[in-house]
Amino acid sequence: MLIRNAAARGAIWAVFGLLVLGLMASPVLITLMLALARQWTSFLPSGVTGEHLGEALSADSLASFSVSVQTAVISSALAVLLGTWAALAGRSAPAWLRQPMSALFHLPSAIPSVVIGLGVLIAFSTPPLLLNGTPAIVVAVQTVMVLAFTYSNVHAALEGLDRQQALVASSLGASPARILLTVTLPQLLPSIGAAAGLSLALCMGELGATMMVYPASWRTVPVSIFTALDRGEVFLAAAMTLLLLLITLVILALLALVRTGRGPARRGGGRRRAGKEGVGLAA
Amino acid sequence: MRAPTLRRVGWAAPPLAALLILLVYPMLQVVATSFDAVGSGAPGQAWPTVLGDPAVHRALLTTLQVAAMTTLGCLVLGVFLALVLAYVPFPGAGAVTRLVEAVISFPSFLIPLAFGTLFGPVGIVNTAITGTTGAAEGPLQFMGSVHGVVLAEVAYFTPFIVRPVLAAFQRLPPDQINAASSLGAHPGRIVGQVILPGAYPAIAGAGVLVFMLALNEFGIILFTGAQDVVTLPLMVYTRAIVTFDLPGASVIACLQAAVSLLVYFAYSRLFVRRSGR
Amino acid sequence: MSITAPDAVSHRTDRRPAAAALREVTVSYGATDALRDCSLEIHHGETVALLGPSGSGKSTALKALAGFEAPSRGAVLLGGRDVTGLSPAQRGIGIVVQSYALFPHMNVRKNVGFGLRARRVPPARTRERVDEALRMVGMFDYADRLPRELSGGQQQRVAIARALAIRPRVLLLDEPLSALDAALRQSMLHELQQLRRRLPDLAMVYVTHDQGEALALADRIALMRDSRLESLGRTEEMFERPSTEFAATFLGGADILPARTLTAAGAGETVRAAYGGHEISVLTREDLPRDHGISLAVRPWSWQLADDAVPAPNPVFAAEVDGVQWKGSSYRVQATAESTGQTLHVEMPARGRAPAVGGTLSVTVAPRDVMVLPAERSDGA
Repeated sequence: MLIRNAAARGAIWAVFGLLVLGLMASPVLITLMLALARQWTSFLPSGVTGEHLGEALSADSLASFSVSVQTAVISSALAVLLGTWAALAGRSAPAWLRQPMSALFHLPSAIPSVVIGLGVLIAFSTPPLLLNGTPAIVVAVQTVMVLAFTYSNVHAALEGLDRQQALVASSLGASPARILLTVTLPQLLPSIGAAAGLSLALCMGELGATMMVYPASWRTVPVSIFTALDRGEVFLAAAMTLLLLLITLVILALLALVRTGRGPARRGGGRRRAGKEGVGLAA
Repeated sequence: MRAPTLRRVGWAAPPLAALLILLVYPMLQVVATSFDAVGSGAPGQAWPTVLGDPAVHRALLTTLQVAAMTTLGCLVLGVFLALVLAYVPFPGAGAVTRLVEAVISFPSFLIPLAFGTLFGPVGIVNTAITGTTGAAEGPLQFMGSVHGVVLAEVAYFTPFIVRPVLAAFQRLPPDQINAASSLGAHPGRIVGQVILPGAYPAIAGAGVLVFMLALNEFGIILFTGAQDVVTLPLMVYTRAIVTFDLPGASVIACLQAAVSLLVYFAYSRLFVRRSGR
Repeated sequence: MSITAPDAVSHRTDRRPAAAALREVTVSYGATDALRDCSLEIHHGETVALLGPSGSGKSTALKALAGFEAPSRGAVLLGGRDVTGLSPAQRGIGIVVQSYALFPHMNVRKNVGFGLRARRVPPARTRERVDEALRMVGMFDYADRLPRELSGGQQQRVAIARALAIRPRVLLLDEPLSALDAALRQSMLHELQQLRRRLPDLAMVYVTHDQGEALALADRIALMRDSRLESLGRTEEMFERPSTEFAATFLGGADILPARTLTAAGAGETVRAAYGGHEISVLTREDLPRDHGISLAVRPWSWQLADDAVPAPNPVFAAEVDGVQWKGSSYRVQATAESTGQTLHVEMPARGRAPAVGGTLSVTVAPRDVMVLPAERSDGA
């Protein structure tokens, strides 16, 4: 322990608590209060109501949630598939291809979401790839948005694997396919799972790129929340945000459950590194 | 052992092709569109028009200003939080760490939605105050300004600093700190001369990352509804979707992407190469 | 257990082609050769140690045998068959690596059975052979554990069992003991010797930088240096009659005295040689012409304290003591010869008082204890 003086420690903890409460916990609390408030014209909301939550679950909004979940699931699955494939292929690719490939797959994290959205909008509004006005364009844009993240997660986990495992496996007579299925992939599963879960959460909340491309028939939850807020329906917007948050938390909790259920077996530097840089580059 | 080169390249082809179609081709289209004619004007006219537009200059400056202030705020706050979590731990510190990690996966607009509706120019607090005092304008005007945006962005991006920096602190050998305190250094000196220098690569790396993310942030600014804070991403959106000026939007998008890529390459050159094998 | 003589001799009468062989193998990474023109045969039932400092090419030689590195020139043979173009999976060589590379997500049984499953051995036979391999290394009771639940030594045994389960003709061991602590290393060394006796037909290649391991296990030692096979020979011969300065210094240690013959001599005769103004008598094993540059190698324990009572056949070197290490049963003294300025390493019994640093030590060497080697020094040095 760095600080031995109890009073100083207390003061530091107080400042810490204020900052965490004020900046990180309060948005969630305020959203919760907004979502449940009957009216909020004075300093405190007057009365509690489930009305806004009910509205957020009504036909219109529910459709948005359905759209968001579908888009997020498909985009995440695509991103996980492509990212994992690219990471695996990059590892065995010839040396001249390895570096450019890694740079290319990290690239989406460096391009602003609205720019990606604009690019996809322009590119897929004209033949040969005419996707504008279809849900596919939203799927495409969200896939790109989380691709760098899934790639870097799996890539980092792969770097953490002992290369000699694959060598020994091949000396024991295993074919490359067998090594991939029985040695490499099982050990990547935790990182792939983590990448999938966080991709889902990120897709559910994606706004910048989606705003650029969504057709009127395919509004994701963040788009609907923005529309509601724009119309001045603050309480509905908050209620929808709250539900979105709950869904995200459920996804993350399920993920944690799956991971801890497998036991602490999957240690290894790979995953720890993965989480660290991976999340940062995607959002 | 080694498969033939052709097969190894072929194995990489499908994901590469997907990325080329989904990312590279659209980016090339943005560049191409930026040279399209606007209305009856000449092709390529969008470039000088946009680059000469004072509103664009202001937006570029605002973007850089917001990103720089956000980064500074996040660094101060994030390093402090990580220091406390690592070196002045308390019961429940683990739960706080998990909360911080969860915030990263939350939608970014959660924060401006909450802060904006509460403290915004026409937010609840201001309405409540003007309702009682009868003043024309509420006293809280910071959410509509750069400061409000920065506050929201600091709240959102701080976890991006806390995570890697905390991890770096935890990797520092405790022996160094013990040695320093056995030599008589007080906590401030230990933090300044042992801990922070030891975690410097992680701190600097996380700082550049947040700077890049803040440069590109869109949802927070859109949701804050601050009229005066117009950044490049917001301008891309307005030009493309609201006024349908695709060439103009593309020029700004190129500008924005160039700034972001510059920061990204500086980042990977400075930190990834050095820390990576 | 019946005591069988070390099997080093039997392979000489073995008519089969070598279990494994490298024929003039070169492995290059870009412009640099990690292994140059290496030829080596390993016979059935024989243990060959690839010994050398790090970066000497010994691991590359092993990887070329295993198929992890493709030779840029030369051929790899197994049982007389050219396998240069075959993948490791097609070679059927057992290999144990330094990090063990156990599959962390499989328990011990699954790890050991991996190669058999890959070869589609029926499950019942797989089980049998896994049990057999686990019993051989004494890990049968740990079959259901995960690798991380085992100690380093236990992981090592599982790695060996995994390599042996496919019943290889050749077992490659790459620095297998270097991750273990000293005490464990001794007991694992003992177990490897027992394993050796239980598998009399297995050819083993043992890569190490530790001469102790090589001396304890190997029938022959291949000494590697600068990407080349420097010298190769039976273990005792390599130790007792090294052929190069490097072999003498790396294996056992020796002081190298540059000298020149003053007389001609036939094999088994005594030759007189000049070393820095001294005249040394040396028993030579080879014919030597007169006025010929040679190197004299003296083992640390071959130096004798000069005794005034017994006249020495060779000159007495007075040397100033620079440092003393007490080794328990002996002192290891480093001293500078006053006449030539050369550093001498002297091992002397730890009876009596330890030599004092700064004091003088008088040492000499018997003619039969000096090894004559071809001179390697560059002229003018």
